[in-house]
Amino acid sequence: MSRIIEAYVGEYASGKSENAVNRALELAKQGRKVVLVDLDLVEPFYTLRPLKNKLENMGIEVIAWETKDTFGLGEAGYVIKPEMRWALRRKGEIIFDVGYGVQGFKIFNLVEGALEEENLKIYAVVNISRPMTASVEDIIAYLNLFGRVDGIINNSHLGELTDIEIIEEGVQVIKEVSKITGIPVIAISVEKNLEFLAGKTSFEGFPVRFLERYMPQSLW
Amino acid sequence: MERAIKEEKRVFMTGNEVVAWGALAAEADIMYGYPITPQNEIMHYWTRLAPKHGKKFLQTEDELSAGFTTIGGVLAGRRAFTATAGPGNVLLQEPVTMAEMMRLPMVVCIQQRGGPSTATVIYSQQEVNLTTYGGNGESLRIVYSTANHQELYDYTIKSFNVAWRYRFPTFILGDGYQAKMREPLVMYNPREKGVEMVPPESFVGNKGSFGIDREPVHLRNAFSMEEELYEVVMEHIDDYNRITPQIVEYVSLGCEDADLVIVSHGIVSRAAVAAQEMLRREGYRIGYFRPITLRPFPVKALRKVCKSTPRFLVVESAYGQLARLVKDALFGLEAKMDEIFMPGLGITSEKIVGHVKKKSELKV
Repeated sequence: MSRIIEAYVGEYASGKSENAVNRALELAKQGRKVVLVDLDLVEPFYTLRPLKNKLENMGIEVIAWETKDTFGLGEAGYVIKPEMRWALRRKGEIIFDVGYGVQGFKIFNLVEGALEEENLKIYAVVNISRPMTASVEDIIAYLNLFGRVDGIINNSHLGELTDIEIIEEGVQVIKEVSKITGIPVIAISVEKNLEFLAGKTSFEGFPVRFLERYMPQSLW
Repeated sequence: MERAIKEEKRVFMTGNEVVAWGALAAEADIMYGYPITPQNEIMHYWTRLAPKHGKKFLQTEDELSAGFTTIGGVLAGRRAFTATAGPGNVLLQEPVTMAEMMRLPMVVCIQQRGGPSTATVIYSQQEVNLTTYGGNGESLRIVYSTANHQELYDYTIKSFNVAWRYRFPTFILGDGYQAKMREPLVMYNPREKGVEMVPPESFVGNKGSFGIDREPVHLRNAFSMEEELYEVVMEHIDDYNRITPQIVEYVSLGCEDADLVIVSHGIVSRAAVAAQEMLRREGYRIGYFRPITLRPFPVKALRKVCKSTPRFLVVESAYGQLARLVKDALFGLEAKMDEIFMPGLGITSEKIVGHVKKKSELKV
């Protein structure tokens, strides 16, 4: 059975959660049943928790901790929620938001059947304004640490200072990374309020995903 | 070794990373530390950067040890630093006072979390008492309270120079929000900006023989006579008071014609400045004062503000820790004080605006 199963990985603060949330909502808008899994065991109670209810009201199922479940666990609560472990047994398209960089990804094998799942695609989200993944060399070295990456999403931006130069520079760097590694570029992510820039650049012909910002409503 | 940061570059980072990169730009040699949220990524990023740039890291068994090993590094002539939060800051106070007693430079980054005890890992401004006056003795130290990532970078670099120039322990006081939050900033090499980094010197194991071709090194943290201690402490206090005018930093906006001055520090300043602007647009005459150095405190500047506007609203994510410093600075002057104290919680500009409109009975 072919279905969409995507895991969003990448450098800390590269934009994994924002890309995963937007992807999940995009699929839901197409009328699909979507499950979004907040798989972050390093900061398990922060990333999607504050957004859970809002996203569920928008029509996706979110597997993340609820505030009331986290009482007493605090920072010592490095526990996997059982629903996360069995997420692949659920119906519908599954989007994993795998938090905390390479180290965070090491727990992905705790998801039952994940690595044998033939539909699984692991997408690395890259922002060249993050100093550790700023150059072609650094990005390739970083992607190698994951062992396997099936696609790259260029999410190069500078927050509120994002301009056409940084987006285009990101596209060029990622294109080069793709050429050397053979890993395809899945999409170029651009914040929705910069949609007007789309007419000014070709994005080298790559598909573009315009992102609505949800993470500012989260804690971080 | 290749220079870590060659040219100015716009980047997008979390606050903890900024501190690690700032330390690298300041040519720090080694970090000593023990993990604690929310400062962990300072260590994570320093350990990722260290092997590429010939730097070192030592994970110690706790923050007491992190502080004392930092002092060890400093004694050996290394630009050493550490970072911690909350209960770790409590433990760190003992080594910090040893550095103060021995007049050794020391750089510490604190990312404040909720207290007391383990409390929350997230955010507060409840480590102001501890960081400004938490040591036994007189707590002669320098504390920079930052409000954004650019400042985290700038003051991390500055802290190394100030600590090594004046030989007082120097803190960069951030918080969990600044630590985890993401925003753009410009990274640069301080040398490219004409900032000379004060070279570290070794305090022990120096060449030569003392009394013959060099002065002896005499570092003491213990004294047997009260009079002897008194003399040394008073000398340190004199030094501290003398450098205070060169160290103090603050921001003062629109205080001259104000009916009320909002006082805040650190990240709460972002909400306070926004609130001041919103209220000004509506016709309220509101000023804004922010100490950047919490120790030494900009006493003179605040007293000057008080003479034109003797009415303050202190806003902080703690129960009066900043307010205590403010009241102390204003002692003897007549001033009216109002407050928004929200220990461990973030404060929005809307909250401040609402408070001013509802409670201050100011007229537009």
